[in-house]
Amino acid sequence: MEYLSTDKILVIDLNAGQVEEDELDESLVEEKIGGIGITRYLYDKYRQDDPIVIGTGLLTGTTYPASASGQITAKSPVTGKVCHCPVIYKLGVEIKYSGYDYIVVKGRSESPVYLWIHDGVADISDAADIWGKNVWEATDELRTFVGDDLLQTMMIGPAGENGSDYAQVCFNHWSSPDRFGFGKLFGAKNLKGLAFRGMGLIEIAEPEDYVEQSLEILKQVKENDFIQKKGLAQILSALGEEDVVEWIQPVTHRHSADYFTPYATNTYLFLDEESGLLEESKKEEPGVLVSDIYALLGFKKAGLSAVDAGRALKACAKYGIDPFAVTQLSGKTTLDEIKDCFDSIKGEIEIPGKGLFTPWCPTGPIFNDFDLAGEDETLAWWERRQAVSMIFGIQPLFSLMCPELTEENMLELASLGTDLELTQEILDAVIDDILG
Amino acid sequence: MGIKINALKCTNCMACEMVCSYHRDDGFAFLSACIVSYRAKEKKDYFGMMLKEEDVLVVARPEGLEINKIGEEADPDKEADASAKPMLLREGCDLCEDMDDYGPMCVAFCPVDAITLD
Repeated sequence: MEYLSTDKILVIDLNAGQVEEDELDESLVEEKIGGIGITRYLYDKYRQDDPIVIGTGLLTGTTYPASASGQITAKSPVTGKVCHCPVIYKLGVEIKYSGYDYIVVKGRSESPVYLWIHDGVADISDAADIWGKNVWEATDELRTFVGDDLLQTMMIGPAGENGSDYAQVCFNHWSSPDRFGFGKLFGAKNLKGLAFRGMGLIEIAEPEDYVEQSLEILKQVKENDFIQKKGLAQILSALGEEDVVEWIQPVTHRHSADYFTPYATNTYLFLDEESGLLEESKKEEPGVLVSDIYALLGFKKAGLSAVDAGRALKACAKYGIDPFAVTQLSGKTTLDEIKDCFDSIKGEIEIPGKGLFTPWCPTGPIFNDFDLAGEDETLAWWERRQAVSMIFGIQPLFSLMCPELTEENMLELASLGTDLELTQEILDAVIDDILG
Repeated sequence: MGIKINALKCTNCMACEMVCSYHRDDGFAFLSACIVSYRAKEKKDYFGMMLKEEDVLVVARPEGLEINKIGEEADPDKEADASAKPMLLREGCDLCEDMDDYGPMCVAFCPVDAITLD
């Protein structure tokens, strides 16, 4: 596969301690397009080895608006189903530029390991020095070891090592959309995590047309009123939780966006620092980056102050546990109680629809109405929209905001970028396959 | 005419970095960009942009612009990041003079208008 691709699939056998590379066949892209179309195919191919499949969308890391996302496909220890978790922030892009479109991790290691994937090279490395450490410590230690502060990580903390049902795979220092307990799966494989860094080059079949079309779509996107807004509180406000705006404002520092994403979906809370500070804080850990709107809302509804909600989110991110599950299943209402309950989180949280996609994303549109009527139509739209976003690699929250990101123009850009004829009929078949 | 950066408007999305590098490489990459997102202080939420021009390195920090003449001795009181990209080895900004349909790519693609033409 020559274009929009690294042309490589990495297959890591933890049992044997071996790393292999396969080519990404063009025929597979013609049939499955990319993202979860192909991670699901690879999951089925290696099913007997209980694989974790990590991938990127066909448009990930390009100039298509919000082409930020990667994917993790695996069998959820929570639901027992094969589920798909989006990879957000800058991590999805780093995966592709580290040299691999897809990574299959199969089997179980005898001792703790992490995977170091950089510039088309993959190593299984001893994790003895970071096993037992929390997500922040492990990420910091790997960045120091490699000497690169831009190293991007996918990491578990004590929750995953201890086999907690709601152990979360965290991204860098932060909580992730993982509501499926994938952290438990990592822990069961003795896999502490993965670290990515890469400075690759992705070729495009028709570069000028691809970039020109991307800019036209971006201009349409910028016509939306929501483009003037930023951050989590505005999303919650649009979903009817208006009082979050005033509650969170005193600790809000800045908002940041995932790769190439026109709306800043992440909000940083300063907990031990003046929120208006512009200079670099002299404190090492002044706060926490939050991307999980429902976890934030859950701690608010439990009666926590905004500062304590931030501290609870920070504690969850360090321990590597799903903060939303903590809000729903712990019954705790003080910060101290919450910090002490992580090992006892049990029960079920509702996964909407067919149970394939994370309810980290709201199950309906944000800021725009998309001309939907009724709950059934909205849920069907949501599942299809999630599938499409995760086939092409679009930031999943932003895809719920933006009608200008259409299946038609994603296919058009994918065809321009690859020189393949990718049609609506192929996309429909891939989606049908995923949704079952 | 030059590039003007408002670091407080920036959301650290890296669009500028990608399209700048595209202008150099005709492919998608980050390695050749003369404008980059400064994001090495992630735990402190401290980010902005760096732009290499022909004679100066512009560091657009949230608290204000810092303009360093290339070739002058660095401030010994300021700590360099281990991951600082070799910006000084890259070509300086040419305002995308060969991109007639766009003008500077970073200006055209910045989704929040944090980069403008001065």
